[in-house]
Amino acid sequence: MPKLKIDNREVEVPAGATILDAAARLRIDIPTLCFLKGCDPSTSCMVCVVKIDGLPNLVPACATVATDGMQVESDSEEVREARRAALELLLSDHLGDCMGPCQMTCPARMDIPLMIRQIAAGRLADAIVTVKKDIALPAVLGRICPAPCEKSCRRAVHDQALSICLLKRYVADVDLQSDKPYLPQCKPSRSKRVAIIGAGPAGLAAAYYLSQDGFDCTIFDDHDEPGGMLRYALCSTGILPVSCNHRKDADATKLPRDVLDKEITSIMKLGVEFRPETRIGDKISIQDLQRDSDAVFIAVGKLEQADVEAMGLEAGKNGIAIEAGTYQTSLPGVFAGGDAVRNRKLAVRSVADGKEAAASIAQYILGQPVTGPERPFNTRIGRLKEDEIEIFLNNVSDKSRVQPTADDGGFSDDQARDEAARCLHCDCRKPQTCKLRRYAKEYDAKPSRYQGPRRLFSQILEHPNVIYEPGKCIDCGICIQTAAKAGEELGLAFVGRGFDVRVAVPFDRSLAEGLKKAASQCVESCPTGALAFKN
Amino acid sequence: MSELNLTFVDKAIERIGGGKEKVLEILQAVQGEFGYLPTEALERICELTEITPAAITGVSTFYDQFRHRPAGRYMVRVCIGTACYVKGGQQVYDAFQRYLSIPEGEDTDPEKLFTVEKVACLGCCMLAPVIQIEDVTYGHLVVEQVPAVLRDFLEQERTRDRQKGAPDRAEAGAEYGEIRICVGSSCVAGGSAKVYEALKKAVKETAVPAVIKSVGCSGMSFLAPFVEVVPANGASFRYAGVRPENTKAIVLRHFKPKTIKPKIKNAISTMLDKILTDKAWEPVTRYSVDVRDQPVADYLGKQIHIATEHCGHIDPVDLDEYSSYGGFDALEKCVKQIQPEQIIAEIEESGLCGRGGGGFSTHLKWTAVRNEKSQKKYIVCNGDEGDPGAFMDRMLMESYPYRIIEGMAIAACAVGADEGYLYIRAEYPLAIERVARAIDVCKKRGLLGDNIFGSEFSLALKIVPGAGAFVCGEETALMASIEGRRGMPRLRPPYPAQSGLWGKPTLINNVETYSAVPWIIRSGAAEFARLGTCASKGTKVFALAGKIARGGLIEVPMGISIREIVQDIGGGIGGGLRLKAVQVGGPSGGCVPAQLAHTPVDYETLKDVGAMMGSGGLVVLDETDCMVDIARYFLDFTQNQSCGRCTFCRVGTRRMLDILERLCAGQGKKTDIDELEHLAEIIKASSLCGLGKTAPNPVLSTIKYFRSEYEAHIEKRCPAGKCRALITYSVTDDCIGCTLCAQHCPADAIECKPYEKHEIDNEKCIRCGTCKNICPADAIKVE
Repeated sequence: MPKLKIDNREVEVPAGATILDAAARLRIDIPTLCFLKGCDPSTSCMVCVVKIDGLPNLVPACATVATDGMQVESDSEEVREARRAALELLLSDHLGDCMGPCQMTCPARMDIPLMIRQIAAGRLADAIVTVKKDIALPAVLGRICPAPCEKSCRRAVHDQALSICLLKRYVADVDLQSDKPYLPQCKPSRSKRVAIIGAGPAGLAAAYYLSQDGFDCTIFDDHDEPGGMLRYALCSTGILPVSCNHRKDADATKLPRDVLDKEITSIMKLGVEFRPETRIGDKISIQDLQRDSDAVFIAVGKLEQADVEAMGLEAGKNGIAIEAGTYQTSLPGVFAGGDAVRNRKLAVRSVADGKEAAASIAQYILGQPVTGPERPFNTRIGRLKEDEIEIFLNNVSDKSRVQPTADDGGFSDDQARDEAARCLHCDCRKPQTCKLRRYAKEYDAKPSRYQGPRRLFSQILEHPNVIYEPGKCIDCGICIQTAAKAGEELGLAFVGRGFDVRVAVPFDRSLAEGLKKAASQCVESCPTGALAFKN
Repeated sequence: MSELNLTFVDKAIERIGGGKEKVLEILQAVQGEFGYLPTEALERICELTEITPAAITGVSTFYDQFRHRPAGRYMVRVCIGTACYVKGGQQVYDAFQRYLSIPEGEDTDPEKLFTVEKVACLGCCMLAPVIQIEDVTYGHLVVEQVPAVLRDFLEQERTRDRQKGAPDRAEAGAEYGEIRICVGSSCVAGGSAKVYEALKKAVKETAVPAVIKSVGCSGMSFLAPFVEVVPANGASFRYAGVRPENTKAIVLRHFKPKTIKPKIKNAISTMLDKILTDKAWEPVTRYSVDVRDQPVADYLGKQIHIATEHCGHIDPVDLDEYSSYGGFDALEKCVKQIQPEQIIAEIEESGLCGRGGGGFSTHLKWTAVRNEKSQKKYIVCNGDEGDPGAFMDRMLMESYPYRIIEGMAIAACAVGADEGYLYIRAEYPLAIERVARAIDVCKKRGLLGDNIFGSEFSLALKIVPGAGAFVCGEETALMASIEGRRGMPRLRPPYPAQSGLWGKPTLINNVETYSAVPWIIRSGAAEFARLGTCASKGTKVFALAGKIARGGLIEVPMGISIREIVQDIGGGIGGGLRLKAVQVGGPSGGCVPAQLAHTPVDYETLKDVGAMMGSGGLVVLDETDCMVDIARYFLDFTQNQSCGRCTFCRVGTRRMLDILERLCAGQGKKTDIDELEHLAEIIKASSLCGLGKTAPNPVLSTIKYFRSEYEAHIEKRCPAGKCRALITYSVTDDCIGCTLCAQHCPADAIECKPYEKHEIDNEKCIRCGTCKNICPADAIKVE
């Protein structure tokens, strides 16, 4: 029984065990992509490299047999750098979007493709959860948002972009009109107070997410009703500052007061306290709020430099100066967002600020490092070539963009479903289980660290349940082994050599013929999104 | 598409067998029949054998040799090995593509007559640039000869006698002299086959008492085709660059016809020759070289022949002749007189190290295999010499097959193996043919097979032809290939000594290593160890090629300096140009710059200067060679030959190549040199096998010694005037208006203006260099 040390911790393993096995005994997590228990080690991805004392080169832990007296480093800077490089090299040849371009351009990073698929499947109760995870006021934004997401929609190159904003409005409207509109579960109270100044989109959004996380929120506002600009600039008599892209007539550009009221109510229901007609600086000062609460969030709308300084805060070019990404001001425990920190007048940006600041505020109060919300890892294909668009169009509705016919300018159920069927599904089908994405995030790998000419996009769709995207394949060969073990007659094979090697079905036959038995197993064992279930 | 007749496939499988390991052999047979691998044939193979669709797909797409699309009637293989590359192989390839109107991205002309392929190395580096059409080799090509070559080939096809009878061999009596003609690949490529035929005819017609003998390579490729005349009374005469029409005169100069009649006939015909050819008679002595001649004396003077013992006068496949020089004495001694341990002790004392590149102590490998307890052990000879610019192993296999077999047998005896394989590159058909014949002869004479020399020792040897994959030179990949799998290296340990072919202990050595073994046993380890340096013992065979006056195969003692090789043996650089660097060790090696020409050639010193012994390719570069382009060339090669298994090599080398291509195209960035070094370090440190670990060497060594050239490329300049995107051709005032450039320009970039100064249209110019080569007034400027 060889005894070895990994990161200076001793472990004894049976003869023939690998370093990876030994590390598992010590609960040391060594990342692997191409390794699967029961398959021969591919030693392909090289993400599991470790350093062995006395050897000049790094070795893959998955296939290196542990020997007596071995001294292994699994987490040194050298090892981490090599792993990062392996991930970055794999990513340099990885053709796929983890998240769809629409989600990436949405300031609130709403999972738009998921919402659309839920609409298409008629799962509206799930869709509203998806929407409200990132957007606190979807019915409102569904009427006033200039929809930057639609500008990046891949389908726009072909015919017209998906009508994302109206779909979101549809989901929110259906929910608001239902007997029991969606109310998220709140964590039990942590007995920590957050003072929020300003009941506009940013303040409301912050209150919405902080309440869910168990924080007691109080919103102070100098008006008698919450809503800020949404109510006092846009509703009924108000004038829309940013033109709304999908409705042309002047009447419809107004935000119906009842929609705003209903949506604010659903936020207030989470236990948010509202203090109307309380102007900060008059009755209470920031310092008072700092003293009485665990954190303060300033979302008062546009501010002049003098106003900022009067509050005792450092001013920036467009209002309060904040640390990018965390929304922290120059005062400890004081955060700021929305138009108070930027001069954008973009409600969806403010809603996003509220959500993101909420994450920082929670971190601050809980004594964690304040880093802001977690930024999910993403790779992107970028601009598609013309015939690549055609590939995306293969499996979706070819109808053109649905125009709403109802007087209020919203979609009917059928219209929403028809429109949803147009989505190209640019986002990855395995964003949560993809190990490449997981480790890229963990090792802070930069997808554009190494650049080279990119491959052509391709998608293999002819299997009834499984989709294969060769651009996401890392050539580990696990699926080839899995198919062979399952006794597939044709199975899968490596085709070609070197950089051009690809996994394919022998003799140019279809994926359905290649994978008659092992399709599900192959999808489950594929470490990336290369092999995935269609739905 | 018409139904394919698959009976051939059935028969081939019947003949070859249907085991998994037979896949390469079956595929080679099928491709030999159909010219490519039709899917129906592959499916049929899977039906009839143990080979699965996944396996046959993986294997048939891994090796370069296999085609999945029908090919043209004739295959044109354009060598782009290092020596050919530096002498314009790429331009020749482009010219074929252009002349045959082959569409972009394809390889066959519209009439489906010729398929043009690039090959890594044909091993005829001295004749660079070289191409092969079917089995005819053309050397020293220039771009504008392409049409003529194709015409010549088609002409030959029409007229040539395809019968290949066994060479005529009169029983050589003492009174007969010998006319030896080298039939190594370089000489064959240089036309020795035609000369051989002409000599035969001349001897027959003149009825002189001479025997014509085909012999293995003399190493003096620069003299090809090379003929040596040894009259019955001794002193030999050597003729270089012999042409068929000279043969008769050569024969008559040394031999007197036996009867009167032919004598008269000869006199008449010689007279007639003189009368009928209006050219002035060129005396044959013009081609004569003698060992006393300075160049030959220099070329041979510093060499010591061990692996190439008896070079130039031994018939490669004549076992009796090999035996008459003490061949197989060493094996007999090992089998009958000494213990295996003593054999290994001899090898240890000799200091022999692996000649394939690694330089690992041979006796350690042997001991490791010997110490393994196993009923079955294998012995393998690595003849997959794939380095572009290296042809030592090819020459050894073509010229001294018995020596290799004897070396293997001694090794097998020492380690306890009874079965073995010689894995030989598919690109070396002559080597395969000769070794196969030698194995047959040995079997018949009881030198291979059961109970050799009446002892307990038995050994069966078999040839496995490779199928075109450089990475198979790596020992674990080579074994995978013999087992009928994709030639993918695997992690070591376990080493082949513990777990090799089919999991059994296996000894793998290189051709040259085995070739040295009989000499060591026969002459004594001390004799061998006396040669070379204290750490690198014995001799090393090098393929000397590139920009050098006299290139070829040389065997020199370890520790000789690069300058001695280039200046003294190779005669320096031709054309008044200066030495810039010597590329040592091919794609795993590096460049030794001219200022380090005093560097002794041994394992350690070469590593210290950033190069590597490798398998022994020495490509000489002059000042017209661009070092960035050379680095790009090697990365292109390794990248293309990467097996694709590990990320660092598969993607990493590709990213390095991307940068180098950018630099050569004038699109470099300021950060590119740092980025190349950064990638190189990662790839070296973490790649799985030797190919990946050494792939960055050519880049690192050129950055080390020629950094300013990299910087110049970032500034969009190519100081050597090589990188097409960075240079322009123009005509200087020296132009005499001869119109030759206009006539030969393949791109119509020069208008024909007799007696006027010509001009080059830069839009049309493809920078092929034809005008510069053809201009009699040296009036073409490249900048």
